[in-house]
Amino acid sequence: MHFSNSLAQLRLCSVAVLVLCLGASLNLHAADSAVQVQLDFKKASPRTVEELTERAILRDYRFAWTSIAQALEFNTLDPLEGPFAGDAKRWLKQSVVSQQQAGLNQKYVDQTHRVEAVFYAPEGDVMELHDTAEYQLQVSDGGKVVHDEHAVVHYVVLMTPAADRWVIRLLQAVPQF
Amino acid sequence: MQLLLQVCARVLLGVTCLAGFCRAQDFQVPAVASAGDEANISTAGSGKATFYLIGPGVSRKSEVNLGESIHLQAQDTRTAGDYLAIVCSSTCRSAGFYVSAAKPASLTFLVHPSRVPVAQSDAVSGVALAFDQFHNLILHSLTVNFQLTAGNASLLSRQVPTQNGAAWFRALSGKSAGLLQVTAAVDELSARRAVQQVASDPCNLRITGQRTKTGITVQSEPVRDCAGNPVPDGTIVTFTATDANGKSSVDAPIKRGIAQAQMLAFGAASISAASGVVMGNEVRVGAQ
Repeated sequence: MHFSNSLAQLRLCSVAVLVLCLGASLNLHAADSAVQVQLDFKKASPRTVEELTERAILRDYRFAWTSIAQALEFNTLDPLEGPFAGDAKRWLKQSVVSQQQAGLNQKYVDQTHRVEAVFYAPEGDVMELHDTAEYQLQVSDGGKVVHDEHAVVHYVVLMTPAADRWVIRLLQAVPQF
Repeated sequence: MQLLLQVCARVLLGVTCLAGFCRAQDFQVPAVASAGDEANISTAGSGKATFYLIGPGVSRKSEVNLGESIHLQAQDTRTAGDYLAIVCSSTCRSAGFYVSAAKPASLTFLVHPSRVPVAQSDAVSGVALAFDQFHNLILHSLTVNFQLTAGNASLLSRQVPTQNGAAWFRALSGKSAGLLQVTAAVDELSARRAVQQVASDPCNLRITGQRTKTGITVQSEPVRDCAGNPVPDGTIVTFTATDANGKSSVDAPIKRGIAQAQMLAFGAASISAASGVVMGNEVRVGAQ
């Protein structure tokens, strides 16, 4: 009897762990699917954007914003390793480190990005995007929300091709395009 | 619905402030700020408050005295972009401001390709982007002067205004093999790249053949492209001999401008040559 009780408890624990793991993975997926990106390549010039490149940019840009959200919410540098390079990576890392020091975090919720490609270099080695991003921005200090707003931010983005993906090299907010 | 509520709350807050009721944590952010400049945020009221600065590359928290100005150091505003200042005492208030790029300090200049055949249309291209000393992209229009020179000859001089921070050109490659200097300049700033111009495909391939004891020695005249540039050594010339026994071919790399091969053919043979898409003349060599 005592043995069967222990077994039942063990099973219950296993199920609980499984549910937790599943929940965590679903949460990650939800964070990714929560980033909505609409891309328009019609104005890209002088080079026309190839269909495969369009798909790669869409995939990598969305992933980059998922990574920003995760890095700044959980104050971890790991998500910044793949999708960023150069100055964008530098200042994002600085943001995370200074958040860790100050005990702050930022949450980007319900992200929507309306993105327009405005420049694609003749040899295809750099692309400039204009992103009108909307999200709910929450700034927390030790778990207490000190700022919560619906933000509309215009970003100028430079992306360059890397070995297996497009990476963001510059992410600079501007008052307007 | 949530958005509507927030908009209503902001309008109410604005009206309240206009009526002169937001005294406790009033503060004023810089109207204009440039990257790397020190700035001040003035506050009104009295007592202690917590100040937060959230921006690209910075998340700062400090205790401040209301009524005193908050000093932003140069390192706080090095990255151009959107900054958020938050002051909390009994409640939290926030205001955003933009930091724009400083004056141009460097040029990123991408030029393609590194080697180019001569006299090819739209063969050389370049993109220039101007950045300030903190690597922020300069978005206001600048005029970039692109120059292409080969030896002492100027092949191109074009002034192109930047659009959205970028200026670009595409140009014909020069007529002579050698180094092509490509320069982009904005005021005193300049960036220089080099493109190696090489001969294009061979043109007017001419060969001669001579009977020897062991067969036929064939060789080309100096192989040049249509602009007269010697085709690089290593370029393959294919010699084909046709005699009564059939066809035989030999690939010979160009050495010091000339391709040479020894062919086994004892009867009368006709020899032809080709390199790339270019066919040479045909020579007939009599039997041994």
